[in-house]
Amino acid sequence: MSALAKPATELRIAGSKLPAIPLPTNCPGCGVALDPETLRKHNYVCGDCGHHFRIGADAWIALIADRGSWQERWGDLRSHDLLNWKVPKPYQEVVEKLLEDGLNEAVRTGTCTLADRPIWLAAFDFRFVGGTLSIVAGERLARGMEQAASSGIPYVLVSASGGARMQEGVLALMQLAKVNAAVGRLHAAGVPYFSVLTDPTFGGTAASLALLGDVNIAEPGAAIGFTGPRVIKQATYADLPPGFQSAEFQLAHGQVDLVHPRTELRRLLAHLLEMYP
Amino acid sequence: MTRHGRKPDVTTLSVWQVIELARHPERPYSLDYIRRLAPDFIELHGDRLSADDPALVGGIGTWHGRTTMFLGHQKGRSLQERVARNWGMMHPEGYRKAIRLAHHAAKFRFPIVSLIDTPGAYPGAGAEERGIAAAIAEAIMEWFRIPVPIVAAVIGEGGSGGALGMGVADRVIMLENSIYSVASPEAAASIVWRDNTRKVEAAEQLQLTSRDLLAMGVVEEVVPEPKGSAHAAYDTAAAALDEALNRHMQALLQQPTEELLQHRYERFRYIDSLVHAEPQFGPKV
Repeated sequence: MSALAKPATELRIAGSKLPAIPLPTNCPGCGVALDPETLRKHNYVCGDCGHHFRIGADAWIALIADRGSWQERWGDLRSHDLLNWKVPKPYQEVVEKLLEDGLNEAVRTGTCTLADRPIWLAAFDFRFVGGTLSIVAGERLARGMEQAASSGIPYVLVSASGGARMQEGVLALMQLAKVNAAVGRLHAAGVPYFSVLTDPTFGGTAASLALLGDVNIAEPGAAIGFTGPRVIKQATYADLPPGFQSAEFQLAHGQVDLVHPRTELRRLLAHLLEMYP
Repeated sequence: MTRHGRKPDVTTLSVWQVIELARHPERPYSLDYIRRLAPDFIELHGDRLSADDPALVGGIGTWHGRTTMFLGHQKGRSLQERVARNWGMMHPEGYRKAIRLAHHAAKFRFPIVSLIDTPGAYPGAGAEERGIAAAIAEAIMEWFRIPVPIVAAVIGEGGSGGALGMGVADRVIMLENSIYSVASPEAAASIVWRDNTRKVEAAEQLQLTSRDLLAMGVVEEVVPEPKGSAHAAYDTAAAALDEALNRHMQALLQQPTEELLQHRYERFRYIDSLVHAEPQFGPKV
C-alpha cells in the first residue's frame, strides 16, 4: 500500500467541530431551505448546489487543524488608531467593538498539525473590518513566515480579504511589501507555501501573498481579483460578463492551480504535505 | 521624529491643494526628469512576453558617470498622449517589463532609479483577465531579490499597490508636493462611504502628504520643490531631485550586495517599527 493511499480514511475525520455561524434561511445559490446543523457538519457547503458560505478564522482553524493541536501565536498584538481616524466611525471604537465580539484581528496565525504533520497556519477573518490587511495582520503573517522559513515547516494560508485597511493609511499599504518579503524568505528556504483563496480575496491581499503560493487553491465560486467589480464599472463603464473574477475565471486565466471544494480541502492539503516533504 | 531626525517643514497648503499640485497637468513627468538626469537616455521597450506598456517607461542612461537603469510611470501631456499612456496606470505587462528590466540591470550591475507617478494600477477588465494582482504581487516580491542598489522617488502621485509595485527600493524619497497613499482619496471615499465625492474628507484622514510619510518613517527624505511647485521650474526641480537621488545612490553603491539585500528586507519588514514602539501595539514576540 502506498503512503499516499493510506491517510484517506483517517482524513474523513475533520479537525474539530466547526463553530455555528449566522446563516440566511435559504441558500443564496439554489434557494433550498437551510438546516444550520446539517450545514455545519458539511463544512458550510450547501449539500444541494455546492454554494460555499463564508466562514471565519475560528472555523478555518477548526477545519484544518488536527483536534487539539492549534497553538495560536501573537494573539495579543492589537491595532490602534495611528491616523486618528474619525469618519464615518472612529476606528478605535470599531476595533474595540470587534474585539468585544470575540474577534481577534483580520488574521490569526499559529502552529498546528494536519494529519499529524506540523504546519504554520494563518487564516483571514472577513468579519474583522472586511478581513483587511493591517499592521497587526501583516506582522502576524510575516513573523509566522519567517519562523516557517527558518524551521522548514510548511505554511498554509487561508485568505478572505477586501485588501489593505484604509484606516491605517500608507502603513497598511506597506504590509504588502512586508509580507511579500517574508514570502520570498519561504521560497528561498524551499519551504512549501499553500495558499487557499476564499470568497472574497481582493486588492492588496490578492496583490501580495494570496497569489504567491507554490500551490494556489481557490474555493468554487469565490470572487478573486484586484479591483472590485463596482470600481471597475465606475472607472471604465464596462459591462462585466457573468462569472467575471470567479475562482473558475481565475483558473481559466492561469492565476490559480486548482479549484477545490471545501469538503475535500483537508484531504488535499494532507496529500500535498506528503508530496512536498 | 523621522528616520534621519529631520523635522518636517511647516506648510501653509491644505491637503487638497497639495493633491492638486501632485496632479497638476503641467507637473514634470518621469521623462522630463530622466532626460535632464541622463540626456543620453535610451528607452527600452517590452516585457518580452506579449506587450509593451506605455504607462511605464524604462531604459538606460549615463548618470553621474555610470550607466543607470531608469524606470518611471509616464502620464501623457496631450489628450491623445494621455490616452496612449493610460494616464500612467499600468497593466500587468508594465510590471513584467519593470522586472524584466530590473534583471537586465542586475546582469550588468547597473543601479536602478524608479520614479513613481501613478493614480494606481489600471482598474479595468483586461488588466484583471491578464492577472494584474499576481503581476503586482510578483513584482513586489522580486524587487527584494534584485542585487543592485535601487532608489525610488515619488514625483507626483503614489497611488496604492500600483505605486508600491514600483516602490520597493533601498531608499524611497518624495518630492515635496507629491502624495503616497493606500488608495486614492476618491477610492478611499468610495470604500469608506460608498461615495467618491467625499474625496476631500478622505484625503484629510489618509495622511498622504510627503511630510506625513516622512513623519511615519515610510520615506527617507522630502526633496524641496522650487517656489510655485515643480511645474514652475522644471530645471530647478530636476536638479534638486538629481542631488538627492545621487546622494542616496552613492551611499548604497558602497554596500556589499548581501548587506544591501538584508537592509532592503529590514527596511520594509520593520517599516512600521515606530508604531511597534507604541505600548498599545502590544509586546514584540
